[in-house]
Amino acid sequence: MNNSSTWEFGTRQVVYGAIGAALYGVLSWASNFVPLPAAGNVTFRPAVAVLIFFGVAYGPWVGFLAGFIGNTLGDAISGWGFFWNWSVGNGLMGLVAGLVAAQIKDFRAQGDIVKAVIYGIVGVAVGMLFASFTEMITSGIDFNTALVGYFVPAFIGNAVVTVILVPILMIAFAAVASRRGR
Amino acid sequence: MLVTWKYRPRNTFIQRLDPRTRLLFFFCVIFGLTLPDIWDYRVILPLFAMSLTLYLLARIEWKDVKRVWLFIFVLVFMIVGLNALLSGRGGPASVTNTASPVVFEVLGIDVTIAKIWFALTQVVRMITMTLLAIPIPYTMDPNIYGTAFRKLGSSDKVSFTMDLAFRFLPTFARDFTITMDSQRARGYELEKVKGGIASRLRKLAPLIIPVVMQSTVTGEEVIDAMDLRAFGTNPRTWIKADDLRYKFADYIMLGLALILLVGGFVLRFGLGIGEFFIPDFFTNLFL
Amino acid sequence: MPEKPLVIDSLTFKYKTRPELALEDVSLELKQGELLLIAGSSGCGKTTLARCINGLIPRSYRGERSGKVLLHGREVADMPIPEMAQVVGTLLQDPERQIVASNVFNEIAFGPENLGLPRGEIISRVDQALSRLKLEYLRERETFNLSGGEKQKVALAGVLTMNPSILLLDEPLASLDPASAHEALEVFRSLADEGKTVILVEHRVEDAIEAKPDRLLYMEEGRIKYLGPITDLPKEIDHTQVKLPAPWVVRRVKAQGATVKEPPKPPVQERGDPLVVFEDVSFRYDSDLPFILENVNLKIFPGDLIAVLGPNGAGKSTLVKHAIGLLKPTSGRVLVEGQDTRKLSVAQIARTLGYVFQSPTHMLYAPTVQEELEFGPKNLAYDPMLIPKFVNESLSTVNLNGFAEYPPLGLSFGQQKRTTIAAVLAMRSKILIMDEPTAGQDFANYTHFMNTMCDVSEDAQSVLSANFAATLFITHDLDLAVTYANRALLFGDRRIIADGKPQDVLKDEELLLKYRVRPTSLLRLNLSLLPQTGRFLPAESLAAYAP
Repeated sequence: MNNSSTWEFGTRQVVYGAIGAALYGVLSWASNFVPLPAAGNVTFRPAVAVLIFFGVAYGPWVGFLAGFIGNTLGDAISGWGFFWNWSVGNGLMGLVAGLVAAQIKDFRAQGDIVKAVIYGIVGVAVGMLFASFTEMITSGIDFNTALVGYFVPAFIGNAVVTVILVPILMIAFAAVASRRGR
Repeated sequence: MLVTWKYRPRNTFIQRLDPRTRLLFFFCVIFGLTLPDIWDYRVILPLFAMSLTLYLLARIEWKDVKRVWLFIFVLVFMIVGLNALLSGRGGPASVTNTASPVVFEVLGIDVTIAKIWFALTQVVRMITMTLLAIPIPYTMDPNIYGTAFRKLGSSDKVSFTMDLAFRFLPTFARDFTITMDSQRARGYELEKVKGGIASRLRKLAPLIIPVVMQSTVTGEEVIDAMDLRAFGTNPRTWIKADDLRYKFADYIMLGLALILLVGGFVLRFGLGIGEFFIPDFFTNLFL
Repeated sequence: MPEKPLVIDSLTFKYKTRPELALEDVSLELKQGELLLIAGSSGCGKTTLARCINGLIPRSYRGERSGKVLLHGREVADMPIPEMAQVVGTLLQDPERQIVASNVFNEIAFGPENLGLPRGEIISRVDQALSRLKLEYLRERETFNLSGGEKQKVALAGVLTMNPSILLLDEPLASLDPASAHEALEVFRSLADEGKTVILVEHRVEDAIEAKPDRLLYMEEGRIKYLGPITDLPKEIDHTQVKLPAPWVVRRVKAQGATVKEPPKPPVQERGDPLVVFEDVSFRYDSDLPFILENVNLKIFPGDLIAVLGPNGAGKSTLVKHAIGLLKPTSGRVLVEGQDTRKLSVAQIARTLGYVFQSPTHMLYAPTVQEELEFGPKNLAYDPMLIPKFVNESLSTVNLNGFAEYPPLGLSFGQQKRTTIAAVLAMRSKILIMDEPTAGQDFANYTHFMNTMCDVSEDAQSVLSANFAATLFITHDLDLAVTYANRALLFGDRRIIADGKPQDVLKDEELLLKYRVRPTSLLRLNLSLLPQTGRFLPAESLAAYAP
């Protein structure tokens, strides 16, 4: 896409970090009104696919900021408060997914899509592990509880969303990007 | 659907504090409580009282937070219950001390006095922290976040990302509503989306794709607009930075925060206070 | 400063991503205080030229550039961004995307903040800009809630705080209603009078000449075709590419001696039963909010081609959202084919009434045009055997044969717009409602689009009348109402002010101005020739009647 280095941080990253965050915040908040698919205590938040997509398309800084600020915003407008460890966890999801950005050449190519989804899932795992384990420390729950109560449902929900929606977003993006002159 | 900020100007003690004070205070309490692993009810109860006082001082209307608290209570009781059911571990090792008398048995698990007291302590401890977390969006002006983070030491660019995200939030909420309307006008009915998880997720694409793709196009123009106004070329002036000033009350609160943070460590590791323990009056209830 | 503000010398540019030259051998000099109008259809190179002047080329857009662009004698490519930003101030097309702050004060302060100026200096610059543009009343407002015209002015104020000597305005009228556009043009003129060099890029020449440009630069295919005074424009300037005042068009057509065929008179239709009926409809979102509609009565009949005119925020969109059932009346009722919309779902109404939203990007999502077009019919549970037929027919109706497998998001804006119409066609709705059908397209493109939709030939009906029993469109562009509609609605102050044939509704200039609709040269010419023509005609056809 652009041949700048993975960790560059300029106007572009600021703008897409902010846009990703605002979208992630809005879509998370919209989940309060739109009936979402759920199974047991796993809810599927489609907003997560947008976060992973922003990481994949624009790199790790954008992924981190979109996740961190986006989760904070989503919680804020829904009135939940400020749960810093979940915000950091969401940031890590985007950041890890963003590590693949430099390797993505064609958003339509199957190989690139598979790569993006794999990084996305690893990102979901890392981010949700971080959040769940900080809950262990702050709430004084044991490993099994953190795993069963926090990690597993969050991981499954977010990973499924990533697998299904990230490829759709990438293919749409390939079409949009083809129109651009930069 | 319009995004409305939960923030409202209220002339309260809490809102007169510098936002930086409040963020620092928040983190000091959380880390002062959790890093030294404090589980002594004699330490937790005063902290709980303090959090509750600060929460009440914020004067947030109950109808605004009713739903949130309901959710928090369900979550706290589920997690605590699950934890107790699964082992009662996680906190201090003495909780699983088998010497504690068994009060009753559920699903083949011995519920001891220690476990019950631990669960109670855990609930109060979690709510102590939640009481500080919930008021933040209700009491902090969204227009000041970027400046506050800048003055807390984050870079110009990261701080501005925050401001820019706030700027776009209502725009995307409106775009999302328009997209929702235009797909409904094409017969799309969200309530009637059926099928398995995968196909139901896929059927959300008509709502998500237009908003996301439009935002990627918008971004290119925003980059131009910002470059053309010299963003990121010099160290920035933050025009609102002077609005943030520590006043007397801020210094008091920051001092208190520091005492709480350091105090947690001193109590635990210097004086050996703060470990989990079951007060005799509680044990006596069951004997 | 002794040097000329802007000197461009044999500038040529090719984008890295495209094969053809975007600019070819462009030379140009501007004086201090000069106002230059740059016109041409989309793709003529005017946007690329603008990017060369403000330095986005070669900084942000890669490609091969040759020639010189000198700002006060200094090559733009060699200037550091902060310096360049203080010489050229750029107002981008869409203020929505130029505004980067949540509130007005911060938005205007953004540039000086980036320069790292002292706080006191910034505040005084902001206040100066606010008073210069008479925007003091907006100082503490949120940018999100501003009207389009206010957003534009705030964005301009944000540019002025950088104290640029050159102002580059890229299609600044595109998102404004005519009354706001008029105000904006007066501001641009006064800025030039104060000594700024103003470059106005705009394809709506008719509107832009209100700013009294000193010269006009007309471009086609990356080259300058005309550069000179605005009066007495030569023939090179194609009146189908840019929008010229109607009398100019008439003169041109006469001079060319071409005979323009007059569109055939539409057949007189029997008024059947109304398709949509509004009965005393009032609406507000909540009981503590003001009414947006009050006692609206309206009937849409078969054969109607209705243009809805009126100021922004008057409730035009609210009105049409009631027809499709996205909103239900607070009191009164809306009947679609005799049934109360309260008892129908939006999906049920969609079988009768198709609604095309203003921006195609708000609805296009599918990986192929084919799937995009199948979306509606599938939602409405049409017979799967019939859907491919509906899809194919609608594709050929809007001239997109062969695009079925293309991704809609990769199409040009005009093609996207036609895809959205096809998507409604494929649903076989009886009534078509379009919100600002020409928004975002340049004059040549939207004229082509509207002609495709509305043109009647001797032996065939127009696309609209062949496919829809009635059409209704909301527009800022009075000339669309004059040229294409057979019924006009003037909407303002929460109610319908006038309803009838265009020639009846639009003849009262005072009434129009009261509701922020500015009479155009085409309207005036048509009104003066009405005794001869008997109906409203496009500018070319008027040549046959004009003295």
